[in-house]
Amino acid sequence: MVVLPYIEATGIRKRFGGVVALDGANFACERGEVHALLGANGSGKSTLAKVFTGIVAPDAGEIRVEGRTITVRGPADMYRLGIAAVYQELSLVPQLSVTENIMLGHEVESRGLVHESKCWEVAAGLLSDFAARLGRQLSLHIPVMDLSPADQQIVEIVKALSREPKVLILDEATASLRSREVEVLFELVRRLREGGCAIIFISHRMEEVMQICDRATVLRNGKVAATVRIGDTTPQELVKFMVGDVDTVGRQVKARVDAPVALRVNHLWSGRAIKDVTLEVRQGEVVGLGGLQGQGQSELLKAVFGAYPIEAGQIEIDGRQVAVRRPADAIQLGIVLVPGNRAREGLCLPRSVFENVTLPSLPKRSWHGLLSPRVERAAATGVIDRLEVRLGSMFQPASSLSGGNQQKIVIGKWLLSEARVLLMDDATKGVDVRTRHELYRFIRNLCDRGACVLMNSSDNAELVTVCDRILIMYEGEIVEELSGSSLTEETLVAASLRVEAGAERAGGFVREGKVHGEPHPHGDRQR
Amino acid sequence: MGSHTHTVTDSGENLHQVTGPSWRIRARRNSGLIVSLIVFTVVVVVNRVLQPNLFDRPVLRSNLTTFLPLVLASVGQTMVVLTGAIDLSIGGIVTLVNVATVALFGAMSGRTGMGAILLPVIVGVATGVAAGAVNGALVAYLRLQPLIATFATNFIWMGLALYVLPTPGGSVPDGLCRVYRGYFIGVPNSAWFIVLTFLIWYLVRRRKLGRYLYAIGGSENSAYASGINVSAVRLTSYALCGLFSGLSGIALTADIASGDPLVGGPLTLSSVTAAVIGGTRLSGGEGGAAGSIVGAMILGLARNIIFFANVPPFYQDFVYGLLVIGALAIAAASGVRRRSI
Repeated sequence: MVVLPYIEATGIRKRFGGVVALDGANFACERGEVHALLGANGSGKSTLAKVFTGIVAPDAGEIRVEGRTITVRGPADMYRLGIAAVYQELSLVPQLSVTENIMLGHEVESRGLVHESKCWEVAAGLLSDFAARLGRQLSLHIPVMDLSPADQQIVEIVKALSREPKVLILDEATASLRSREVEVLFELVRRLREGGCAIIFISHRMEEVMQICDRATVLRNGKVAATVRIGDTTPQELVKFMVGDVDTVGRQVKARVDAPVALRVNHLWSGRAIKDVTLEVRQGEVVGLGGLQGQGQSELLKAVFGAYPIEAGQIEIDGRQVAVRRPADAIQLGIVLVPGNRAREGLCLPRSVFENVTLPSLPKRSWHGLLSPRVERAAATGVIDRLEVRLGSMFQPASSLSGGNQQKIVIGKWLLSEARVLLMDDATKGVDVRTRHELYRFIRNLCDRGACVLMNSSDNAELVTVCDRILIMYEGEIVEELSGSSLTEETLVAASLRVEAGAERAGGFVREGKVHGEPHPHGDRQR
Repeated sequence: MGSHTHTVTDSGENLHQVTGPSWRIRARRNSGLIVSLIVFTVVVVVNRVLQPNLFDRPVLRSNLTTFLPLVLASVGQTMVVLTGAIDLSIGGIVTLVNVATVALFGAMSGRTGMGAILLPVIVGVATGVAAGAVNGALVAYLRLQPLIATFATNFIWMGLALYVLPTPGGSVPDGLCRVYRGYFIGVPNSAWFIVLTFLIWYLVRRRKLGRYLYAIGGSENSAYASGINVSAVRLTSYALCGLFSGLSGIALTADIASGDPLVGGPLTLSSVTAAVIGGTRLSGGEGGAAGSIVGAMILGLARNIIFFANVPPFYQDFVYGLLVIGALAIAAASGVRRRSI
């Protein structure tokens, strides 16, 4: 018997500015199937999910539902076809109540007005299917912004279910749920599957994928790397599909165990984001912060930079304890942050390259508050030359440069202020390969002159290429350290997903145990 | 608490009591309105102390007829502000409606009867709706920034008004003014109009449209992802704003009984101020037109207070500014729950 896929996408292409998110991706999901959509950070999973829900309009490709090609103008069309989604970033309106959110876009009406009590009934019925099973009563009427992240997630799930979907997309729907809640969700998913629903499951938790899914499609750089039956595969194999055949060419790192420690972070706690983080970066060392996105890497860098409140713990520079309360304190100490969001935190885009480069270090060159145009120009020229920024004139606005060259300017700003500790927060996002390599070389140069770098990156290949060591973060903690021969893209992805790399049987997961500091047991076996 | 109670029986196993929101939740959601009502009460008491005949029927009526244009403009502004946008052309629309109506009255001066009054009024209101729809189309479909787009269209409405009526003048049929200043079962008609305005707002709020105004103001992306036609709702919000601006223009025309090509200007920013005093957040998603009605009356009473407190004319604007800042500060303090991100 040939089973026709219920929903199918072929040749989907989508580019956002200079970044190709989907590059001819194909995907099909049948009725009564739970189909995992897997891939490393930035492989295009969420974009594909949004193509299915009509939020992202693909540049090319077609979508078929029950064999019929459909044209999509927006989410409303997809709801009509029975496609609903739980979004990773949630689709809730913070000020509206639980009921109002669940019923948003399909309120029960009578005589032209919203029938409030009918809406409450529907929402209560749906919630009792889910929340009541957890022995928890969720108020129907409080604004969702007053709910915990887990409860918001439940509301988002119930909201998708309220559309009685034939296709349900779960994009990281379990990310903020506890294990008991995940069980309840899976019970529900199984019931939907029996009812003939097609379910697309996106998750970074491999054990969940192995537990609930029937098939998996792995995306890599916007293309399909493989589609496999879950019964025929292992988490290790899936990780391999995600990473692909990587060449580790270009990785030139040196062990620097004898250099003095430049930056030391001692038992740092910050909000919910960072839990008891201790780390050291030696002079001349590049240390990466790896792991899944959003595990506290960015917050850690901002905390060290004084832009994120620190609750407990100390920061030491060259063995001396320092107080970093504001970014200004950090800059004074030679700690600088290169943010990933150039437009928002890094540059004054409408102003000239010259002004941007010289801005943070103006006081160093001023004479009683006056600046010499000649000295300023000389300083800027020096930096621009050193960084090989490609530009017509340094008086052109920063916005006229390409992304990569803009990023060089952001780094150049700090060169003039002689930074000792460079914090890079996904600084090469959207930067082309050639410029990236120039930046890597440049980072190395800085390190050879005694600076050190702590970097977060959503690009695993980049971390492996540039870093001497990588600290894996998970839910705000450093859970593992990779260095030397145990540092490969495969071990990095495996450690991020908390899968034991190279273990033979399925289900060999690293659970809550800390393996901090230990060399990875099977680190280089599969290479 | 008068909350509805229903029982879910079809889900069988667990009999779940479905009740309406508790008074606590209702109070929190309407905290802006409640605070503005408190401020309103204080302002009324102060005004009464300074002006002992405040509650006499003619005084009350004369106050309300003066306040009504701003009340209507503020309700219109609220429709747009709830979605997180703004309309800086309300003053222009009101002016245009004023001169268009007066010009039509002039053209039809020979005739008598209801038609001679009603037709210009209907055309005037329709002009407001049309102007609002143009604003909405610019913002929703051409994706222009609301602030700048409506700032620009304001010049267009004012320019058109000058074309229609270059100098102040014209006359308004007695019938319209009599209705505007009249009474119905002992209560000033202007008070009835305010009640009517509230009812219209209540109906808007209870419709899907009302829900969507809040949803878009709260999170446009979430609203879009929920299948809401965001552009259509935005267009409608501006058209509604135009409708209330049109009604405001008619009220103003009946109040001043003539045409003036510069009359509406001050209403624009006063309407924004009234909405904010009434608890509507400029970022959208919170508040409501009921608060704006109260806010507009607070602004009007503040003028009264200054007059009856014998503030020297030179300092009146200065003191008015201080009072408005005080009211805004109290409104801002009521919005204590902020999102913690």
